[in-house]
Amino acid sequence: MPLHSTISHLVTRRRGVVWLGVALLVAASVFVLVTHMRLDTEVLNLLPRGFESVEGLKVYNRDFAQVRELTFALVAQPQDVDRLEEFAPQFAESLRQQPWCARVLAGSPLETPDGVADLQKMAVPLLLNLEPATFEETLAALRPDKIRERLRRLHDEIDAGSPRPQFELMLDPLGVIAPALKPFASNASIEEDQPLTSPDRTMRVFITVTNQPSIGAFECQKLMREVNAFCATARQGWDGGPLEVLVTGRSAYVGEISLSMRHDIIITVLGSIVLVGGVFFIGFGRWLPLIGMGFSLLLCCLVAIAAGLLIFGELNMVTVGFCAILIGLGVDFAILIFGRYQQARDDGSDHAEAVGEAVKNLGKAVFFGALTTAVGFMALVLSNSAGFTQLGVLIAIGIFLAGLFMMSVFFLFVPEATTPLRNDWIFALVKRYVRATVRRPGTVLWIAVPLLLSLTGIAVSPKPRLIFDASTESMEPKSSEAGYALHTIMDKMPTRWEPAIGIVRAQNAQELHDYWQKVAAHWSQAQSNGKIRSFSTPAALALSPQREAANRETLHTLDVPAARQALETAVAEEGFSAETFDSGFTLLDELARIAQPEAPIPDWRSLLPKASSWWFLVDRFFAHDPLLTTGFVTTNEPITTQEQKQMLTRELPVAGVPMTLSGWSFTLTDLIPWSHRQLILISAMMAVFECGLLALLYRDWRLWLIHIATLIFSVTAMIATMKLLHLPLNLLNVLAFRLVLAVGVDYGIYVLLVWQKARQLDHDVAGVVKPVILAGLTAVSGFGALGLANNPTLAGLGIACGVGIFWSLAATVFFTLPAAAAAEPKSWREESLQTRVKYTEHV
Amino acid sequence: MFNTRFFAPAALACALLFALPIPNAFADQLPPNDVKSLLGRIREKRAGAPQIQADFREEKTIKMMNKPVVSSGRVWFQVPNNFRREVKGNSPSTTVSDGQQLWIYYPKFQSAESYQLGRRSPLDAGIAAITASLNLQGVEENYNITAAQEGSGYVLQLAPRAPSLKRMLQQFTIHLNEALQVQRTEMLQPNGDRIVTSYSNETRAPIDSGTFQFTPPAGTNVTTPLGR
Repeated sequence: MPLHSTISHLVTRRRGVVWLGVALLVAASVFVLVTHMRLDTEVLNLLPRGFESVEGLKVYNRDFAQVRELTFALVAQPQDVDRLEEFAPQFAESLRQQPWCARVLAGSPLETPDGVADLQKMAVPLLLNLEPATFEETLAALRPDKIRERLRRLHDEIDAGSPRPQFELMLDPLGVIAPALKPFASNASIEEDQPLTSPDRTMRVFITVTNQPSIGAFECQKLMREVNAFCATARQGWDGGPLEVLVTGRSAYVGEISLSMRHDIIITVLGSIVLVGGVFFIGFGRWLPLIGMGFSLLLCCLVAIAAGLLIFGELNMVTVGFCAILIGLGVDFAILIFGRYQQARDDGSDHAEAVGEAVKNLGKAVFFGALTTAVGFMALVLSNSAGFTQLGVLIAIGIFLAGLFMMSVFFLFVPEATTPLRNDWIFALVKRYVRATVRRPGTVLWIAVPLLLSLTGIAVSPKPRLIFDASTESMEPKSSEAGYALHTIMDKMPTRWEPAIGIVRAQNAQELHDYWQKVAAHWSQAQSNGKIRSFSTPAALALSPQREAANRETLHTLDVPAARQALETAVAEEGFSAETFDSGFTLLDELARIAQPEAPIPDWRSLLPKASSWWFLVDRFFAHDPLLTTGFVTTNEPITTQEQKQMLTRELPVAGVPMTLSGWSFTLTDLIPWSHRQLILISAMMAVFECGLLALLYRDWRLWLIHIATLIFSVTAMIATMKLLHLPLNLLNVLAFRLVLAVGVDYGIYVLLVWQKARQLDHDVAGVVKPVILAGLTAVSGFGALGLANNPTLAGLGIACGVGIFWSLAATVFFTLPAAAAAEPKSWREESLQTRVKYTEHV
Repeated sequence: MFNTRFFAPAALACALLFALPIPNAFADQLPPNDVKSLLGRIREKRAGAPQIQADFREEKTIKMMNKPVVSSGRVWFQVPNNFRREVKGNSPSTTVSDGQQLWIYYPKFQSAESYQLGRRSPLDAGIAAITASLNLQGVEENYNITAAQEGSGYVLQLAPRAPSLKRMLQQFTIHLNEALQVQRTEMLQPNGDRIVTSYSNETRAPIDSGTFQFTPPAGTNVTTPLGR
């Protein structure tokens, strides 16, 4: 028995068996979903693999403490700047009281109550890390004569009115801490560039580290619920005008994005179903087939997601868009097959015969349509992006399932008894158009071709430019509170932009020290040459065991009792209060202790209290693994161009130091060529594949040429529309081009295959153009529904695809059909149908 | 030299202030309208001669030193913010500000410190506090002011409004004679340090503009403790 007869037999005579099969499939899929469902909310997994900058960004996001940082901002009115200054410490204290808050940075660590004392605690290890010559020079300051000389001088300076001795003595009573901290202090430069108060004083920034146990989506949601509750009450005690409490950071973004996924799923799926269903009902005036189509499409989604989970183990958030895309694509098959089934019924066939007829006549077109679409989406595997690879595979599976289910399960919902549509105005219009086009194709071509050529001209013209947005903003969710907070902070801090980062991992402490010494020297040179604006590195905190050992030897030469005696005498002689020098005596005792070879030298990390604000500086540089570190380079301008990225790639690495350059702006700029490659190379490969496929399919150079011209017109019209409407391309919606090629080619195939074999134009051609138009409109609706998504990658993809498919449909109807009519004229033989078709208005 | 940008500028600004003990309760507290009127008279008097120079004697009691630090010299001021202060004695110094930059020169050490003003740092607030007693322009904006009659003169008590000022100045008292000339200022800082400055030989003769310019002599070691 032929395949179409077998299918017809099953869906009409063995419906119970088919239903049982469907039930088993649903049960198995639901089981997989329940037991395997894992959603990957990491936006970085949308970026392609194989880029060092992307991998670096992942490491930075995963292993460094900034992943748990939340940045708060208080924004007041200009007349309330003094109130804000007074309120800021109160807000910082409230933050410290929160159970989710581990640390708060509200100003310079030195201005905190324990800032100086904390720094002094780290002095000894940092002192031992000085270059041996510098260490020897520093130690000389502890000679009795030097101690006396220094205190005398400081006294004289105080008498002269200098303010400096007071703060010098406050931090460094012996004069040895300052040289020890000098390398560390140089790291403060980046803090100067990124202040915590806006220049107009209307904004104060507070950086917190949270204690969230994991960085998963649900943990972030839970944290942000608590944070938002805090923000709601954080204005207590504020007596000024409006005060905004803003919060941003990774957890804020992840919390928002993961929550918006639910919104996106509901909105895009419901939106697709409503829009697609609406178009179907307008076109065919049937409810049951519509329900069957919806059921079949949901079944495709369910089975494809289950298959995707089994294949990949987890699904990225971008695959949320899969359902809407699949509905937009799969509905084509339903409309074409139902159109053909209805036509067969109108021709006098019974239910089973009409099912067989539809499957027989459209099986090839559906197969090739599914093939081109699947190949188009499978090409996403070449993107190297985990998220888009999953999307491509899922849709490829889904589209084949859609073809299969629309030729089987769908018919379970088509009633055996059917009544003709009384007033099919769409078909009447289409038939009138087809008739006019076939009789006078030149008239339509004279209108369509100049328009399409004009759009092509706009597309290839350098002006207006196609906007290519590679900024970090292009990846942010729409209406994002975290995004708003970030942009408000950035806007009010004009000098604040994201630095490039250099990640260095070492095998041991000495290697880490050596690496950063080289890097710091090299970057310092780059700064002197004006290549970069500033930099900060962990060089001062990457301690060298070799230096430590050498300096310990030198420490033996220090006569601590003599230094102590000299200090006591000088303090008394110069009239200083003894308490000013308490920390100096403590330091002398500590130096005496570590001068003993067997005495352990404490790890500076253990000396710094957990709540110390200095950790903010330390955590910037060190990952949880202290041998994994990063340095920061502030560029002269925000990184936006390839030239900047190439300059940094050239200037920042150091020979012999394995370094990964990254940072969000750096990475996105790094990906621009990849994105262009996606746009041009892979789309071109797709086009070559489709050209070959079409040549094989038509075996007629004129029809082949018409179809290729249609595809070119579709893509160029899409580009022109995006230019004219200022719709930006971003790193991800460039994928739309291949999707448009894959989907758009189907419409041409349906029309030209029918045209090639049509004997009765009204019956055959007009009968396929109507479903094609309906299918096109539903696809546009399906993709357009994605535009409602909060996720900008989905929304951008949906809008770009919607625009592209619209032009594919328009080019097919207004160019392909008249061009085919002009190239291979056929006579209009409506009269020949009169005796054969029972219901000519119902096709 | 240690990178002093690391230090809190507030410490510097505090150290720049000069003050002394707070007086006892005021004898005759003036009602607000009279305070306003008094300030108006002071302003009117100074508007005619927008410059001032006087000798000063300063006694600084700081926690770091067991005994008060005493210095004396002469001070020049011209609106809006030109300022010069020369300390005589064994440890002389010259402080010069044109509103944008502050120099402190120590001839004994052949060294000078340069500070940039106008960055809304506590240093600016410190300078504003110093010049407030000499200028009294716009003091109502920065301080809550009360006044009292003291003999034939007046005592103004200024409580800072702005948090930046509060961080370095707890209370500021200005003693004026009957001619509304500043006789003495007393400042109390939040850390307990106190500075009292007495003024004498006040004149309002014109001041050469070069007085407020400073160029370090050749061979001077110039530092910028708070960065450029």
